[in-house]
Amino acid sequence: MNSTLTILQPGNSVVTDLGRVRGPQYGLPVNGALDQFSARAANILAGNDDNAALIEITALDFRLQTDADLLVSVTGAAVTLTVGGRECQQWEPVSVRAGEILAIRGMTGGLRTYLAIRGSVSAPLLLGSCAPDTVVGFGLRLLEGTRLTALTSTGPIRQPYFDLPLFRLGLERPQFGTELVVEVTDGPDIEEFGGSAELLFNSSYTISARSNHIGLRLGGELPERMSSTELLSRGVPVGAIEVPSRDELLVLHRGRGVTAGYPVLAVVTSQSLDLLAQARPGHTVTFRKTSVAAATAAHRASMHRLESLRRAVATVFGLLGIGEPAHWTDLAPAIGS
Amino acid sequence: MSPMTAATVELHESGDAALRVVAVSDDSERNWSTVHRLAQWLEFAGAEGVHGAVPTYDSVLVEFDPCATSARQVGAYVRMGLRQLDSDGIPARIPREFDVPVVYGGPYGPDLESVAAQQQLSPEGIIALHSAKTYVIRCLGAPAGSPMMDGPDFPFPVPRLKDPRLSVPAGAVAVAGRQAVIAPATAPGGWCVIGQTPLGLLNIATEPLVPYLPGDVLRFRPIPAEEFSVYAGQELRAVQ
Repeated sequence: MNSTLTILQPGNSVVTDLGRVRGPQYGLPVNGALDQFSARAANILAGNDDNAALIEITALDFRLQTDADLLVSVTGAAVTLTVGGRECQQWEPVSVRAGEILAIRGMTGGLRTYLAIRGSVSAPLLLGSCAPDTVVGFGLRLLEGTRLTALTSTGPIRQPYFDLPLFRLGLERPQFGTELVVEVTDGPDIEEFGGSAELLFNSSYTISARSNHIGLRLGGELPERMSSTELLSRGVPVGAIEVPSRDELLVLHRGRGVTAGYPVLAVVTSQSLDLLAQARPGHTVTFRKTSVAAATAAHRASMHRLESLRRAVATVFGLLGIGEPAHWTDLAPAIGS
Repeated sequence: MSPMTAATVELHESGDAALRVVAVSDDSERNWSTVHRLAQWLEFAGAEGVHGAVPTYDSVLVEFDPCATSARQVGAYVRMGLRQLDSDGIPARIPREFDVPVVYGGPYGPDLESVAAQQQLSPEGIIALHSAKTYVIRCLGAPAGSPMMDGPDFPFPVPRLKDPRLSVPAGAVAVAGRQAVIAPATAPGGWCVIGQTPLGLLNIATEPLVPYLPGDVLRFRPIPAEEFSVYAGQELRAVQ
């Protein structure tokens, strides 16, 4: 059964997914959830595919109301999450009853929170992805009164005694502090910077307010390019660190233009890109050098944790009869409202 | 893209999810042909974990899922692809032709005068050189699948703007260095804008979103400002 979610307070929120991986070959950035780990975790905790459409909420308070029972999960930056006025846990599945208001307030210790709804929400696709692309003017930005269609309703699962939290799936949550350590590998053009490339590791940088999903700008001691020959445009990876001006470093994120003519000094690892997605202006960054092999191993380890979570969720949901309507009919009176 | 032996390539690690492949022969046509044929091969072959390839002039960025594969595996795969290019030869696609009407100068091309001064030519001279040549679309770039081309036969490379504009309108016809481009979408930009086409390049209701592919050819045709509105709202289509 479809249900309708009405946005009461949009804050700064969009419907997105893990990104438009077919975009770059057509000149479009990949975009998608900037903190990929949190977005995947939210979907897994809601029993969805990792790439299901979900809501990304940046910085500001957010509220919605549902007309049907839902199962949701909220991950990413720490917030005060309330459902029908009750405070609920992040990083665990949460039941929302028809008519209740889900509110996300007071985001701290990060910049982006993810709200996944079991069964996902419907959103238009471009090249197979619903991720907004601000340059071509595509995507679902939420406004006050926007109605989203949730594709599944999930009956209420609630601890009958004092509404104690029902789930304890125990995923290790990433910590988002104000002093970030960001791992990078050598960029393909590091030689263009000569000895000044080492500067990147000798000082700390401050995140500028001019940062967004396209790239983060960081002030600090800047490595300098040794030559000034015009480079031909080349494909640049997400995470590329460039020095386009005398004022700031530029760290390209998922909204980056796919081609550019600046040399790539270093590349932020996939894992550290998630960390940067949660960084706020004024936070400080120190860069640490790693190897592609070590970065790959670290990324695979974190994906492995998500696989364990997926198995735990499947087991728990199976025991609770989530996703089996007939079974659920039997259970409903016992949990009782 | 005439079949020719693939150029020698260098592989450069570009983080844990991308690999840059650079063709390093002395022949820029051969380098361009190599990286574009390699990108096509990668797309058709559809290797596990490879998201896609972004070919430009002499390089192709191959993006992949670091859980499913690795830079080393992708590198080995690329080398295999290059050997296959040499033995099979992907049949050359017949290039399509595009005719692009352009209003030069004035509010449509705010940098025409400064480019003319820098090239030590008159604005009319710039327009004549820019509209004289047949351009090969070398690659689709940022923003939004821009057709990136070798530049017009100006005497000097065109320096980029010192202060990039925060917003350049869709249809802007621009030059920088030894390159030429048309902007399919409104976006920030640091290239010199010498004119604007009234035709729409980007249609997000269709796939692909832009009508041209690398290898297609394009010509610019000067039109008077009064004719801008005649073409406005029409889409760029290949000449039959």
